[in-house]
Amino acid sequence: MSTSPIPPRARVQRPPLARPRECVLGGVCAGVALHLGWSVRATRWLAAGLALCGGAGILLYAWLWAMTPLEPAEPGTHGLVHRRVAVPWALFAIAAVLALVVFSLGGGFRAGAVGGSALVPPLTGVIVCAAGAVAWDQLVDATAPRTETAARWLRVVSGALLVAVGVLGPLVWGAAAPGWAWVLFVIALLAGAGVLAGPWALGLWRELIAERTKRVREEERAELAAHLHDSVLQTLALIQTRAGASSEVARLARAQERELRDWLYSGERRIDSDLVTDLRDTAAVLELDHAVRFDVVAVGESRERSGGELAAAAREAMLNAARHAGGDVSVYIENARDGVDVFVRDRGPGFALDDVPADRMGVRESIIGRMRRAGGSASVRPGAGGAGTEVRLHLAYDDEGEAE
Amino acid sequence: MNDGGEAEISVDRPEPVTVVIVDDHSIFRSGLRADLGDGIRVVGEADAVDSAVEIITRLHPDVVLLDVHLPGGSGGGGAEVVRRAAPAVPGTRFLALSVSDSAEDVVAVIRAGARGYITKGSSGSEVTRAVYAVAGGDAVFSPRLAGFVLDAFGAATGEQAESIDELDRLTVREREVMRLIARGYSYKEVAGELFISVKTVETHVSAVLRKLQLSSRHELTAWALARRLL
Repeated sequence: MSTSPIPPRARVQRPPLARPRECVLGGVCAGVALHLGWSVRATRWLAAGLALCGGAGILLYAWLWAMTPLEPAEPGTHGLVHRRVAVPWALFAIAAVLALVVFSLGGGFRAGAVGGSALVPPLTGVIVCAAGAVAWDQLVDATAPRTETAARWLRVVSGALLVAVGVLGPLVWGAAAPGWAWVLFVIALLAGAGVLAGPWALGLWRELIAERTKRVREEERAELAAHLHDSVLQTLALIQTRAGASSEVARLARAQERELRDWLYSGERRIDSDLVTDLRDTAAVLELDHAVRFDVVAVGESRERSGGELAAAAREAMLNAARHAGGDVSVYIENARDGVDVFVRDRGPGFALDDVPADRMGVRESIIGRMRRAGGSASVRPGAGGAGTEVRLHLAYDDEGEAE
Repeated sequence: MNDGGEAEISVDRPEPVTVVIVDDHSIFRSGLRADLGDGIRVVGEADAVDSAVEIITRLHPDVVLLDVHLPGGSGGGGAEVVRRAAPAVPGTRFLALSVSDSAEDVVAVIRAGARGYITKGSSGSEVTRAVYAVAGGDAVFSPRLAGFVLDAFGAATGEQAESIDELDRLTVREREVMRLIARGYSYKEVAGELFISVKTVETHVSAVLRKLQLSSRHELTAWALARRLL
């Protein structure tokens, strides 16, 4: 009864088998040592000793590496793996040494001291290590903190080494090299060329594919636009004509037409909207709710942001026109170098500012007061010929900087 | 039904305005035909570039209501009809019909020689009024087209013609007229605002139209090129 709780507790206290992210090579020895409660140093020696037993330690190491998960990344970090050994560069160094062996063996072969078959193991080693260095760098170390420049250098030197072996090897060995070596020389040359030109060719290929995809998509869109233009837009226009300009049906048709046209011709909408876009959107919304038709005309390059006081006052003026006048309303936005003007003109019953009770905040506060506070001016007056109302908003730019 | 209507009109008015409607949608053509006022007689219809040129040169109508986008011909749409038919029929005026209310769509047709444009969403009475105006030799300017003109001639940034003959910029008066039209004023209201006669307003508008057609400003030629590429 008293001994039963002990074994579970012991099992719980054992940390899970995982490879740490701060490691020497793969983190296998450290992970195993931590899991089993052994000394890390002893574990490493054990692994090295096993490796000498016909490579059993290397196999075990690789197997554990493949099967053991990395320890979970700490929140807030990118989960990068920091290795103390720069494996790609180590592999490259081995490849470079083996390449020297290949060349020097060539000299020995010429002198009759070495047999031709001695060439094959170091030559294979050069190819495997140099290609392995690049592969490791690109695949395994993709999660390691490394710079693009370092990766490029590794690629260049490894590729150059492979090409050098492929080209100089035959020169050193001459025609006496065994048949196997020739295959390996060709493979080295091809691998070197691949490593050197691979990323460039890959980039070119990706660009080509992207361009082709884009063109196909644009063609499809143009075709679709032409089709919709010929059918749907025409029908929507006809509906508006037949249903009477300010009827519910015509308003719906007009809103639908506007949306479809925006989608067809303007492509992706800009997120950063300016005054003109803002007022056009306002017009579209108001047209849905009121018996009104806005004609928004803009001149010049719009430099005023949508969120400004001017936009708010203009929206208010448009809302007033939609509510109290209806029918056709003209909105004209003129962007000049020194300022911006907005005219909202309706053909409704019209009203004089003096007739509006003082407690009504609409026009006085939200249009005139707002413009005055923003440093501009606003005027409300009867439209030309006494018909309807025209609201004029003016905002002068202080300097070029403010307009940006 | 249409035949009876036409007979009646010709009794009422000895000289109705004769019109040819060119549009590739039969529904739209019949709708427009029914909507046009009593003083207008539709003498023919066409649905493609080649047939339109043939009918216009054969019938010599007063006004051609011309869709901007048309199939056939060498793909030039309404602009191609104007270019090919206009030399043979000097008395005929062209009025562009556009499903779009963006002026850019119709600039090619106007530069080919059309006297203005209206959108297909316009009511029957608006079309009728525009047909009369064009038949009388006036230009039909929508607010949007006026806005486009102000932009294209750099009027918004303060460019100004030195003399009346200059084609690439607007005079002060022309600019004022265009601004008022862009603000939604009718010709009559423009005249009242500027203390000039309606006739003078019409003269200014016609002058602007002429500049729009003949000017070689970069903004306009670039436009035509871009449109043809599309």
